[in-house]
Amino acid sequence: MKDPNIDEILDRAAKAPHQVDPALLGRISASLGATMRPVRPLLPAAQLAALLLLTSAGIALVFAFALGTFGIQKMDVAEIGSIFPALGIFTWLVALVCVAEMTPGGLRWKNPSIMEPLMTNPAMLLLAVLVLWLTIDAIFFHDYAMDFFVSQGIPCLRAGLIVAIPTGIAAWLLLGRGFAVNRTAAGVAAGTLAGLAGLLMLELHCPNFHALHIMVWHTAVVPISGLAGALLARLNPHR
Amino acid sequence: MPPDAELEPLMVRYQQGDLSAASELVARLSPALHRFFMTQFVSRRYADDLLQETWLRIHEVRHTYRPGEPVLPWLYAIARHIRVDQYRKARRVESREQQVERLPETTTVDRATGVDLDALLAGLPESQREVVVMLKVSGLSLEEVARATRSSVGSVKQKAHRAYDKLRELLTSAGFSK
Repeated sequence: MKDPNIDEILDRAAKAPHQVDPALLGRISASLGATMRPVRPLLPAAQLAALLLLTSAGIALVFAFALGTFGIQKMDVAEIGSIFPALGIFTWLVALVCVAEMTPGGLRWKNPSIMEPLMTNPAMLLLAVLVLWLTIDAIFFHDYAMDFFVSQGIPCLRAGLIVAIPTGIAAWLLLGRGFAVNRTAAGVAAGTLAGLAGLLMLELHCPNFHALHIMVWHTAVVPISGLAGALLARLNPHR
Repeated sequence: MPPDAELEPLMVRYQQGDLSAASELVARLSPALHRFFMTQFVSRRYADDLLQETWLRIHEVRHTYRPGEPVLPWLYAIARHIRVDQYRKARRVESREQQVERLPETTTVDRATGVDLDALLAGLPESQREVVVMLKVSGLSLEEVARATRSSVGSVKQKAHRAYDKLRELLTSAGFSK
């Protein structure tokens, strides 16, 4: 038996008429009519994603300027030219996924097609962001000293998460008109976006360039936020 | 299933508050949605409930449809969500009350071949069955199924391919050698 034979069998079976009780359809129409009013469609996906990007970058910048931009001042041109554009691209991609997760039958990523599995699965995108970020860290930071590893690490982690909280709330409010068909995935996406804002603030602020400090404590903000986003979204019974 | 190009203007009018457009959408799309639910092993009464619940949710979130985007992936994404959500709730109730209501009350038998579509699809895992139903019964394209299920086209193709392998096995063992 070949595929066309199976197609034929399925097609024939699918063509069999399927009736729905007209009274049921009448009840459905009546119930829709009871609350019918015009609604304004969601903003275009790119506009919503741009709003998310600007919001998360804005929150990170406000915190970084409040705490002092010692990190970026200590970086050379190559580090600035690589780290911040990379964070910008990650944030843009995650913002697009956030919008897609809050739109039923949301965005389809076509080109390049290799990105499609990442853009349809926030957890996979989070993983890819982490791998790429750690690679960038490994390229630019070679001092593997462990001085004050924990004592300097914990404040950075805490500061990054503190920035992630308002970013996550802002993202959730911006996307609040949407409808998440998969709450957990939407939570991971929003949490990752918030974590990236925390990471951006740390790169602008923190002058500790020990490779392990950045790889562990700065990077940890992103998966912790992603996980927190997933847990909070699962607890939220509505959206 | 009506072509998507006919549905888009109706969706736009529905968003503008036109009840006749909403009623037309209900009339046009409900049979396919109902069948989508029926092929997931639910009784006709339960499929009726799921259909009603789906339309209420569609109404609640109708602003999330963006004009110019395909309607069917948007619609099926919501229908899937309702099905999974209600299934979880039903399982919780079932485990408490020890009730089982699974058997479909109607079947879709092709008279020419004698193939019972529901029985045939019952042999497939849920994710494969869903893809086959959307592709072959609801008439969505690969890309539309990918959008509705938030997965890649490659993943949909893989599920469809595996489903066809399984269907081939089932049909052959049932005596369909053609």
